[in-house]
This record gives sequence, C-alpha cells and structure tokens, in this order.
Amino acid sequence: MARKHATIDEETEINVTPMLDVVFIMLIFFIVTTSFVRETGIDVRRPDAQTATSQDRGNILIAISDAGEIWMHKKKIELVDVRGMVESAVKETPESSAIIVADTASQSGVLIDLMDQVRLGGVARISIAARAK
Amino acid sequence: MRRRSRHEADQAEINITPMLDIVFIMLIFFIVTTSFVKEVAIDVSRPSNQPQKTERLSEVIAIHILDTGEIMLQQRIIDIRAVRASIETALAAKPNANIVVIANRKADAGLLVRVIDQARIAGADKVSLAAEAI
Repeated sequence: MARKHATIDEETEINVTPMLDVVFIMLIFFIVTTSFVRETGIDVRRPDAQTATSQDRGNILIAISDAGEIWMHKKKIELVDVRGMVESAVKETPESSAIIVADTASQSGVLIDLMDQVRLGGVARISIAARAK
Repeated sequence: MRRRSRHEADQAEINITPMLDIVFIMLIFFIVTTSFVKEVAIDVSRPSNQPQKTERLSEVIAIHILDTGEIMLQQRIIDIRAVRASIETALAAKPNANIVVIANRKADAGLLVRVIDQARIAGADKVSLAAEAI
C-alpha cells in the first residue's frame, strides 16, 4: 500500500526543467538590457526637434529647469559641482555620454556653461534632449 | 535490491529549490529596475575654449541668436521658418562650411535647439554651439 502511494507521488511531480530554462533566459535578458540610468529628478518641457535620434549610450543625465537650476541624480546641484560628478560617473563607466535635458524656457548661457563643465569632466559626447516631432 | 538502489538515486539528487528562489528574486529585481526609456536627443559639438585652430570666417556659417529671440544670419534678421532655407542657400555657396550657432546667454534654450534642428534639416551634419562673448 505504502509503495503504491510512492509511485503515484513520483508520477505527479512536475518537471520544472523547461520553466527553469525560460527563467534563466529571462534573467540573462534583463541583466544585459538593464542600464542603471539615474534620473534627474525634475520634469522639464523638452524642445521639439525633427532630427532628434534615440540615444543608446546616454547614461549621464543632467537637467536644467526653466529657472536655470541644474538637477542631477535627483538633487539640485550647483554648476561647480557638475564637473566632479561627471568625473565620478566616467570612472564608473568609461564609455559614457551625457545628455542635457534643458527646459525650453531655460537660458542658453546656462546650457553652454553646463556643456563646458561636462567636457571638462571628461565626456566628449554631449547631446541635448529633445522631443521628436 | 532494486528498491534500495532507487532510494540511493533519490538521495543523490541535488536540491535546486534554494537556487530557484535566488534566481526568481534576481529576475524580479531586474524586471523592476529595467527601464526601457531611451532619451531622444540631438548631437551638438561644443568647441573647447582652448584655441585649437583658428578657422577662417569664410569657412563658417554663423547664426546669431539675439537676446530678444531674433535670429540673425549674414547680418540679416530672419524668421525661424526661414532659417532652413537660408542655411540651404548658404551651404550651396560654401559646401564645406561649418555651421556655428552663436547664442546670446539670455536666449531661450528651446529656440537654440530649434535653430540647431533647422540647420540639421538643411543638411549640416555637424553643428557647433558657441556662446556670445560677454
């Protein structure tokens, strides 16, 4: 009697191997596609541009609000701090490129100063975020 | 005899349940942290302040953005809608010219992006950005 019971148990066991395969493939997919982009922390109105292209490698995001404040990593920072933060980001991922998310109403002087600071921090590829029309 | 050997095989099987737990937790972590948001942006080049080579003015098409929001190309104030056609004309005359957008510091960044965008539509592959000297 006891033995018969054991055979039934063995037969009803679910084969988890295919599920494991799927789970592993999903895991690898998500590990590969994850890029830890750190958001800027503010919502800005992006300018419209027709020639805007999708940026694959933009992992340094810096935002300028309409009042001219600079936001990075969900903190409001000063212009003089930008260089150091960009330098530490480059140290983590050497192939970084920067995207400046400037509000439509922000002053271009701030934008140009910011681009200079990012360049001094060691990032040559800088783009300005836009909204594709 | 047969029964005993099967019993041994049962014991030798590796318990994969803890590994499965870890794999699932990792999977959920990566699903939650993944963001598929890609920034859409335009590329601009900002010439460094150190003088590398002095470019002759004849090789440059300069577009000025004034603090009032007016756009000036070749000493003429033009409308934003006329920028593209004007740059196309200027590029036809000087095909190898670089395009430099010289913005006043008080001008809107949105206007600046629109001018760069228009220049790129006009066929300029490399648009540089400069600030007006104070």
